[in-house]
Amino acid sequence: MGTQPDSQITSLDEIQPPAGWMHSRELWRAFFREDRFFLVLSVFIGVFSGLAVVCFRYAIDWSRLYLLGTGVVLTPLRLLLAPSLAGLVIAVLVIHFFPRARGSGVNQTKAALYIYNGYIPFRTAIGKFITAALAIGSGHSLGPEDPSLQIGACLASALGRRMRLSRERMRLIAPVGAAAGLAAAFNAPISAVLFVIEEVIGRWTAGILGSVVLSAVSSVVIMRWFLGSEPLFRIPAVELRRPSELIAYAILGVVGGLASVVFAGGIATLRPRCKALPRWTQYFQPAIAGLLIGIIAMLGAPQVMGAGYEYIDQAMHGQFTWEFLAILAGLKILATLLSFVSGTPGGMFAPTLFIGAMLGAAVGGAEHYLLPQLSISPGTYALVGMGVLFAGFLRVPMTSVFMVLEVSGNYSIIVPVIVANTFAYVISRGLQPLAIFDLLTRQDGLELPSMEEQREEDVLHVEDAMQPVQGPVLDAALSLEQALRALDHSEFEQLLVRVRSNAWGVVTKEQLQKEASAGKATANVGSLLSDQTVPYLHPDLPLEVALRYVDRWPLIPVVSRANFGQLEGVISQADVLRRYREFGEG
Amino acid sequence: MLALLAALAVACFLVVTGLSHAYEQQRESLGTRWFSRGVADQNAKRFDAAVTDFRAALLYSRENYAYQLNLAEALIGMKHLGEASAYLLNLWDRQPDDGLVNLELARIAAQQGKNDQAIRYYHGAVNDVWPRDQEFQRRTARVELIELLLRLDQTADAQSELIALEANAGDNPELQKQIGDFFARAGDFDHALVSYNAALKSDKRNEAALAGAGEAAFELQRYFLAQHDLQAATALNPQDTQSAERLKTAELVLQMDPYRRQISAVERNRLVMHAFATAGQRLQACTTPASAATAPASPNSDLTKEWSALKPRITARDLLRDPDLLDSAMNLVFRIERSMSGACGTPSGPDLALLLIAKLHEGNS
Repeated sequence: MGTQPDSQITSLDEIQPPAGWMHSRELWRAFFREDRFFLVLSVFIGVFSGLAVVCFRYAIDWSRLYLLGTGVVLTPLRLLLAPSLAGLVIAVLVIHFFPRARGSGVNQTKAALYIYNGYIPFRTAIGKFITAALAIGSGHSLGPEDPSLQIGACLASALGRRMRLSRERMRLIAPVGAAAGLAAAFNAPISAVLFVIEEVIGRWTAGILGSVVLSAVSSVVIMRWFLGSEPLFRIPAVELRRPSELIAYAILGVVGGLASVVFAGGIATLRPRCKALPRWTQYFQPAIAGLLIGIIAMLGAPQVMGAGYEYIDQAMHGQFTWEFLAILAGLKILATLLSFVSGTPGGMFAPTLFIGAMLGAAVGGAEHYLLPQLSISPGTYALVGMGVLFAGFLRVPMTSVFMVLEVSGNYSIIVPVIVANTFAYVISRGLQPLAIFDLLTRQDGLELPSMEEQREEDVLHVEDAMQPVQGPVLDAALSLEQALRALDHSEFEQLLVRVRSNAWGVVTKEQLQKEASAGKATANVGSLLSDQTVPYLHPDLPLEVALRYVDRWPLIPVVSRANFGQLEGVISQADVLRRYREFGEG
Repeated sequence: MLALLAALAVACFLVVTGLSHAYEQQRESLGTRWFSRGVADQNAKRFDAAVTDFRAALLYSRENYAYQLNLAEALIGMKHLGEASAYLLNLWDRQPDDGLVNLELARIAAQQGKNDQAIRYYHGAVNDVWPRDQEFQRRTARVELIELLLRLDQTADAQSELIALEANAGDNPELQKQIGDFFARAGDFDHALVSYNAALKSDKRNEAALAGAGEAAFELQRYFLAQHDLQAATALNPQDTQSAERLKTAELVLQMDPYRRQISAVERNRLVMHAFATAGQRLQACTTPASAATAPASPNSDLTKEWSALKPRITARDLLRDPDLLDSAMNLVFRIERSMSGACGTPSGPDLALLLIAKLHEGNS
């Protein structure tokens, strides 16, 4: 991101130095150029987001206490009534007061970046806070991370507007807040930064990276100040005794990939159908989802309610049998589908982690049952399973690896995680071409850029359009007469001229003939060239770089990076356009 | 504007601090309430309910040391060793010198057959800090460690722990008796006898200590002392069949030993003749099945030949006339009993007594 010229910083006019502290307004403005100010603002965004996420956590806990009770064994009446009545209240709030609070919040943040110039109404944060806290606290199968991300983005957007940032900065401010919110919710700043870069922004630039990191770190500091630095779950000892165990992890990757496809497929099928139902049914959809989740809980699986971190912890420490873990994974998919497709506000990160952990521990347990010689620890499998679902369902492969590393704090798990995640990602991509966030975007009628498609799209390079050098390359020292003699039988009109070993020019045959006939036949070719030499390109450069020059120069030399004097080919505007046309048709 | 932002941040921070205090207080009170219920359930051995209560308490204070420790103990009560171990390891990471955590981890490791780990944790429990009754708790841990070491046949390590335990045993007769038992299991009957006698000092009618002392004396071939202690033990507890059996054997040894002092020559010769006849019967009883069923009976037949050759000379008259005959006869008797013990299993009654007499006089022969 380049530096903004001062003339654009009219929005910072309100920032005044305290009287007597700075001597000149210019000095103050020079110090607080918008890019520097943006970094400082990122810290404040982190602080406010951290505080908001802490309050959000309190709100979830309080609503759980008052709606579900204080113990771990819940009464059937509360199990049925709490999620369904809360669902009714949530539906009224979402329909009448906070329509943008629906869903997870990741896509809304992306939409702010790509469509609304960073604008997210502040009431969305309030709505998300209240409705998601009610939903998660009452036992809907959703998590607090995505809402925290959206709350952070809303706060950042509000601050940016208040500070009257430029449009360019405003666009970037939502992801900065999103990173802060997610980092505080996850207690994992690296994963939050990676997720925002990988899924929301989609590119690495020094300017945005600095702001995202600053906001994420400051929000985590605030969160830890109030809630402590304990990880979300107690991490068991992680070990990979034999490389052959990687096969077992690969199997986990395959199972996780298939589960991700089922989960995403469920959302793809059910969400549009629920949305297509008559409008009045939307008042009851969250309540019905809550009632069904209550029934699942009452029938013996209360673990599916809420975010379920305490049960992930128990699964990691081998408290459940592998059969029950598999059932829990299936029921959690069902419960999350019910909650999410009914439009209840809440996130999918925690359910994804839950399903992954249960599935991982179940696969580990089953493999140990079938192959007792494998020294399988359920905790390691649960950890790897979380990464697998992240890679397969959310389709954020890099975040999935770093998330497991950051949560476990153990680098020996990296190989199993990479192996399993790769299988899950490849299977999920093969069977469900559209990533879940892109799917939701399109279901909502938006066309936001798909980060996955961007990552994997083919990029054209100069070498794809360049042509071999045809016709003679003239030396600038040649006389016009010698040059014309060399061109005697040549049909080419545009000719490259080598000025020095790494400097080039272009002349036309017509120009040579005209000057020679004007009596300058002994003058050298170099005298016809303008002062500005032709830029050169390298074969590996993106083709769009050539676009910057081809309209000004009829022919551009393409030279080797190892030897600038070595001509690899030439490229013209016609070559570039032809290649793009072929690419579009292909 | 930045100053305003900073002021707003500080104000929000203060508000959240206030909320946080209210939140923490509520959680603490809920945690304490569930913990108290859990302790009551645990004391009543309702481990299932206790686990639920402690889990609820941990919802409000996940890293609370006491909650985790009690949950781990309740889980051990429910035999959920894996999960209990996870909680205890977490506690161990936080306080590796906690004696109770070490002891519980040692117990779990021992139950899971992870003996090296168990020994390491037991050492921790023996040497680390206990919140109260430190000496008693350490002693308990050491006793369990010794049990494990003896079970693993690591008698040298067990003995060194026993010596340390003995030094701290004080006047506790029960513990002294237990130490005696351990020494006996470790094969250190000298120390065992000392410990049993120490236990008997404060309680002369401690039947278990008397039986143990008698047993130790028996193993040390101090049959008079064994007879004395075992008589006292069986008098106090006639149901103690093992001591009664030992007593019978000890009395037989004392009665049948022709080498014992202060007996007349006639009596000595009578004992030799009796021993010779007993050995002959043993030889006959043992040779028949062995020769028929299993091995060639060459050693037995040699002994039989020897016995048959010597038999005519084993008379009161010959024994009086030839003092060396006593040794020859008893030598053959001892060889027969040893050989038959190897071939036909441990004998009983007079044969066992003769075998023990043989061992008693091994040095002399």
